[in-house]
Amino acid sequence: MVNKIMVVDDDPGVIYTIKNGLKRLDSNYEIITAENGKKCIEFLETNEIPDLIILDILMPEMSGWETFHKIREKLTGEQLPIIFLTSRKDQIAKKAGGFLGEDFIEKPFKLPELKEKIDKILNRT
Amino acid sequence: MRKKINISLSLKLTLIVISVSAITIASIGFINLYYFNVHYEDIFFENPYYETASSHIQALNAIIGDNVSLNDKDMLMNKTNEFLDSIPPEYKDNILRITYNIADENDELIVFFSTDNTSIGTISNPYIQVTEKGTIACNNNAFEQDHIYIISEHNKDSHELIMLYPINLTGTIEGTYELVLSMNDAYIRFKEETDSQVKWTVIISTVSLFFLIFTFLYLLSRAVVRPIITFRDSAKVIGQGNLDTKVKINSKDELGELASAFNKMANDLKESRDKIYEYNKILENLLKQKDEFIGQLGHDLKNPLQPLVGLLPMLIEQEKDPEIKEALQLMNHNVEYMRDLIFKTLQLAKLRSPDVKFDLKHLNLAEESKNVIESQKHLFKQNKIDVENKITKEIYVKADKLRLAEIFKNIIANAVKYTPDGGGKITLEAEQDKNIVTVSISDTGRGMKKEQLKRIFDEFYRADKFVKLTDSIGLGLSISKRIVEKHGGKIWADSPGIGKGSTFYFTLRSTNEK
Repeated sequence: MVNKIMVVDDDPGVIYTIKNGLKRLDSNYEIITAENGKKCIEFLETNEIPDLIILDILMPEMSGWETFHKIREKLTGEQLPIIFLTSRKDQIAKKAGGFLGEDFIEKPFKLPELKEKIDKILNRT
Repeated sequence: MRKKINISLSLKLTLIVISVSAITIASIGFINLYYFNVHYEDIFFENPYYETASSHIQALNAIIGDNVSLNDKDMLMNKTNEFLDSIPPEYKDNILRITYNIADENDELIVFFSTDNTSIGTISNPYIQVTEKGTIACNNNAFEQDHIYIISEHNKDSHELIMLYPINLTGTIEGTYELVLSMNDAYIRFKEETDSQVKWTVIISTVSLFFLIFTFLYLLSRAVVRPIITFRDSAKVIGQGNLDTKVKINSKDELGELASAFNKMANDLKESRDKIYEYNKILENLLKQKDEFIGQLGHDLKNPLQPLVGLLPMLIEQEKDPEIKEALQLMNHNVEYMRDLIFKTLQLAKLRSPDVKFDLKHLNLAEESKNVIESQKHLFKQNKIDVENKITKEIYVKADKLRLAEIFKNIIANAVKYTPDGGGKITLEAEQDKNIVTVSISDTGRGMKKEQLKRIFDEFYRADKFVKLTDSIGLGLSISKRIVEKHGGKIWADSPGIGKGSTFYFTLRSTNEK
């Protein structure tokens, strides 16, 4: 089974790193990308829901937080798990009360770390 | 050493006033009583008796006249009685005796005749005597015709007025009449009067003196003590930092001047303190801005690093050409260094912020240090370093577990860094004094000079400029310093000199007081 993973980030460097890096580490991933939250929501409305979203927080058009809320209106954490990408771990900690149960990874991370997280979440269900 | 007794100002003033008053009373009283007893007695009290006595004796002299022979005692007695009868009874009681003193053939004065029979024959009066020339004298003054001599004699219970008058029956002075008057009744009256007078004088003067003392003290306390107390209380309040307080003394004297000078000083102090506060606020603001800037910059640096951190290891693994591989490894090393630098800088900025919170727990120091040593095993092996942990098991400290580990890790990493390639030894020890635990970590490394010791905890400071830049960030000890200080402890380093190793110390609070 091929796992569909969506990467949402406005930084093409990050998109490139994750897309190519993950594919190289595991050929079982199919990577879809979106450059901001708005495009992500649009995609979800018209396409098949992926197995996991890797979501950056600071983005133009629609931020990660906003996107997250929009997604959670319709889908639970079990239906669509999310890993937040952040360079500010402290901000995640501050909002922890509202985002309990969501995963996050701090930039700049090493690819094996991300793969470990992804596999843990995908094997959960 | 002499112990100083604390006496309040009012007590001192009271003592001074009372002692001065006591001395005044005593001297006034002494002068008063002296004049009462001596002068008052002589001048005012005895005078009426002189007149009575002199008129008596002149009357006696007249009654006896010239025609009586001294040999006719009966005649003398009759004449004397005649005299006594002529005196009104209220005056008669005062007359104690009438005596005739005559010089005998041996020129000795004898009592020839007396109304008081017991004393006949012996001379009772020490004031009169016969001189060598045979004349009768009183106190060495020869008796003269019609001259009255008066002597007052005071004993404890009797007060007598002795009056002497020459007997001149044959043309020469043959002896003296002696009339003795008792002044007792007058004296008793006088005593009663003076006693009550003295009593009242004493009472009134004591009362008025007390009144004076209290008035004086009251005025003194109003004028001096109370302003000083006000001063002291205000000074205390001002000393506590309340510089708006004014000393409220409005009197136009030295104290008032002192108060206004003091108020001016407090005001000047307040102004300079406010200025310092203001500058401090600006500084704090700047520091905050700096931390915010570092934070923002740090976080923004993380994003562009992501592709480098993510892709470089992948490329290294894939690369077959050893030259390109080496170049990639060098790049990766630098990227790792940058990553470390960003994390450490952010950590330091976070430790500086006031709302950083520690999870304080009771930790066994031996166990915590052991865990750190275990985790750094590869580092020691790589650098040929022996580690000896002498920390004993009974020491417990109050600290944040992860941060305590970080202190150990940073200091140990520093020791390893400054130990030459040939290897060395690191020794961990801990000592407890009451509730303070002092941990020491010594190495056999390069050691430090005095000026290096001073700066070792400064941010980005390297004791040795020849250590490769990319090997050491220079923030480990600064971070350790902040952590230790946030735990309420102290951190310092010591070294006997270059090449002699160094020892790092830090203190923590203990949970089991010795």
